Amino acid sequence: MAQDSVGLSSGYQFWMRKLSVWGQASTLETQQDICHHLPQFQEFLRQIYETLKEMDSRTIIERFPTIGQLLAKTCWNPFILAYDESQKILTWCLGCLITKEPQSSGESKLNSWTRGLLSHILAAFRFDIKEVDLFTQSLGYAPADYYPGLLKNMVLSLVSELRESHLNGFNTQRRMAPERVRSLSRVCIPLITLPDFGPLVEALLTYHGHEPQETLWPEFFDAVNEAFLLKKILLPKSAVVCLWLRHLPSLEKATLHLFEKLIFSERTSLTRTEFLMRQSLLPEAACHPAIFRIVDEMFRYALLETDGAPEVLAALQVFTCCFVEALGKEDNQLKFALRTYFPYAPPSLVMALVQHPEDIPQGLRHQPLRRISEMLREAAEDQAPGSSGGPFESWFLFARFGGWADMAAEQSLMSAAEPPEALLWLLAFSYSPRDGSQPRAQTMVGGGTQCGWHPGWAFPELEGSYQRGPRNGFGFH
Amino acid sequence: MKTEIRASRAAMESLSQQLESFSEVLAASRTPHVRSWSPTTVRRALQWARYMRHVYRRFGRHAGIRLALERRLRDQWRREDGAAPATYSGLTSFRALGRCDLLLAQRLLGNRALGGAAFRCLLGQLCPGPGAQDAEDETLQDRLALLARRRAAVHLLRASGLGESPAAHEDPLTQTQAELLLQRLREVGQAAAEGPRRLLCGLWERLPQNSFPRVIAAALLLPSAPPGPPQKELELDSPKTPGEGRHELVQWLLGKSDTMTAFCHSLPAGLLASVVGRHPELFPAYLALLTDWGRQLNYDLQKGIWVGAEAGDGPWEELLSRFQSLCQAPLPLKDEVLRALETCKAQDGGFEAPGLSIWTDLLLALGSGV
Repeated sequence: MAQDSVGLSSGYQFWMRKLSVWGQASTLETQQDICHHLPQFQEFLRQIYETLKEMDSRTIIERFPTIGQLLAKTCWNPFILAYDESQKILTWCLGCLITKEPQSSGESKLNSWTRGLLSHILAAFRFDIKEVDLFTQSLGYAPADYYPGLLKNMVLSLVSELRESHLNGFNTQRRMAPERVRSLSRVCIPLITLPDFGPLVEALLTYHGHEPQETLWPEFFDAVNEAFLLKKILLPKSAVVCLWLRHLPSLEKATLHLFEKLIFSERTSLTRTEFLMRQSLLPEAACHPAIFRIVDEMFRYALLETDGAPEVLAALQVFTCCFVEALGKEDNQLKFALRTYFPYAPPSLVMALVQHPEDIPQGLRHQPLRRISEMLREAAEDQAPGSSGGPFESWFLFARFGGWADMAAEQSLMSAAEPPEALLWLLAFSYSPRDGSQPRAQTMVGGGTQCGWHPGWAFPELEGSYQRGPRNGFGFH
Repeated sequence: MKTEIRASRAAMESLSQQLESFSEVLAASRTPHVRSWSPTTVRRALQWARYMRHVYRRFGRHAGIRLALERRLRDQWRREDGAAPATYSGLTSFRALGRCDLLLAQRLLGNRALGGAAFRCLLGQLCPGPGAQDAEDETLQDRLALLARRRAAVHLLRASGLGESPAAHEDPLTQTQAELLLQRLREVGQAAAEGPRRLLCGLWERLPQNSFPRVIAAALLLPSAPPGPPQKELELDSPKTPGEGRHELVQWLLGKSDTMTAFCHSLPAGLLASVVGRHPELFPAYLALLTDWGRQLNYDLQKGIWVGAEAGDGPWEELLSRFQSLCQAPLPLKDEVLRALETCKAQDGGFEAPGLSIWTDLLLALGSGV
């Protein structure tokens, strides 16, 4: 408890200084700084509330003499009031300041002052537009009556301004100044999760200005991405793709977020993995080669770092499966050639791997497997300097398409006679691609009789019923 | 069957009475009368408001009940001796029921006369803290927070100069005011036939002369059908039959010549031309105004231009631009404008040379431009 209060005290000083500098958020620098700190400040408000609610008003003033100032400065900062739940938490904090029975004039004044602030936030908002207030009062309307409509009209007006600027780009009069768009993206940051702003967020994400460099504020992308990953907003796929194409850190964060859910949490079933994968929109977005390359790179890195952990491999395979499915559904006009996604692999090999193994009827499975094995072997043994083949690339290519390894195992188990060499090579390769041909031959011989191989190795849900193959590391570091 | 009808009629009567009584409570919440309210009174009032909102959500789509309650409220409104909506504090429409708890809460929050204990009780109800949930509805706390958020949003946008437009009929603020005006005109018109006219006269006197005409113009130019799918929360932000409200507006403008004059003077030429194009009933009055205006200008030989006798009269350019805008309006208007000018020119003597008749000069200027 003492630890908490020390932490709170230093945080208190920090935020008190910040709020003083921020003022009413009128300059560009303060706006930038505020947007950067909004989530942390909200967390701080929550902590303050948890502390205040245990105390009565007098103790609060003794403990935090400047609390009134802190809360007042917060009330006058429109960015904070606009963000998420900050305005709600602020009212809770103010509520704690009200004294039950004011014994002195000081306490009465505090009560009165606190009531004024509460009234400002919840009732007679002092930032309201006087002219509109007068008009609506004359009509007998209250702010609750007209604000939803007003905000809707403002958003619509901005959305059509953006669309017009986008469409009529060559007509300089209709073009929105880059500074204006930038300013808009900045102002939107606290408001991304406000439902009324949905159309505007989408319009900004899909807006392409006429400047060579990015017009939108980078924090805007961060904030949208955060909200999307935490499911605080819903965005159509096209908007998400635009987001990730324009702002690389967002894509990386989204991929890492997915990794966390799939790989570093407790065992998830195959159906859940597929569900999470599809929900993340990454496979669909990866139909855009630039996005595919990045995600692919991250999987590659994860595999290397974790020494080929089965969870990572499983995630990669589900990703590839969903990706191939999404590619199939993609509009023919927008289709990219497969080599755009797999530039280092022989096109025929890629074509063969992309087929769905399950689609091949039972009796005819040997042939494609053998072909794949041959092509893969050729690619893997291509040690010529400057070539983009080599064991790891080939292994990585093959590892993506888990179904083939499964089928090779299945076929080799099913055949009564000694399984063909090609199949054994494939199996040995998928386990330890780095082995030179000598050790691999040994593994192949051993693999034929070894029964420690089960088709479902890639999926952790079946872990209990299989033994892991030799995890002798991939030795690529 | 008869007992059922009797029972439902009794239920309806009871509901209507509750509505009226609640409307009185709502009206009282704005007055110093709340000084006498105890915490229990506050709690009860809020509960009642919650019940009213429940009625709204329950019967909102039931046209028969909705109409009956609406009529009852209008009667109550009418009984207030034809009070203007600005001074009437009770419920004005069925739609207001949907927000009545919010309205009550805000009035009480802002009312300084409310005692300390009662205020604390109010706060406890409005801001109960984290974890307050309602199974079937958004909590009052959440709705108050949402409103605060929206207000902050509007402020943020405007402080950065966003969400505004110089053209009155495209400016969101003016548009929203226009939508509200039409909505109120419709409601007031249903309560009393004289309602709209009285409302508009009252507004004309109270409101600043530079902004109200813009709102009127925007109202006259609003699209007929509300765009997009029907609103989800039984709300109709734009009136279902905006034609009604607009008709009243036009009639009122035509009814008072000085209002019409002030209206035409304060708005830019292009905007007026759009308004008149959309509502041709206004055209004769506008044209008459322009011709009167033209007749008052005299030719200044030294300067070589038409000037007004008094300082207040608009100069030549202004008059010309107005005629030009009219000529750019839809075809029937343009023809009538030219015909009227020809008539005036003929009346003046049919001169062809410039500087003798303003109508000749106007036609010459228009001829070259149009």
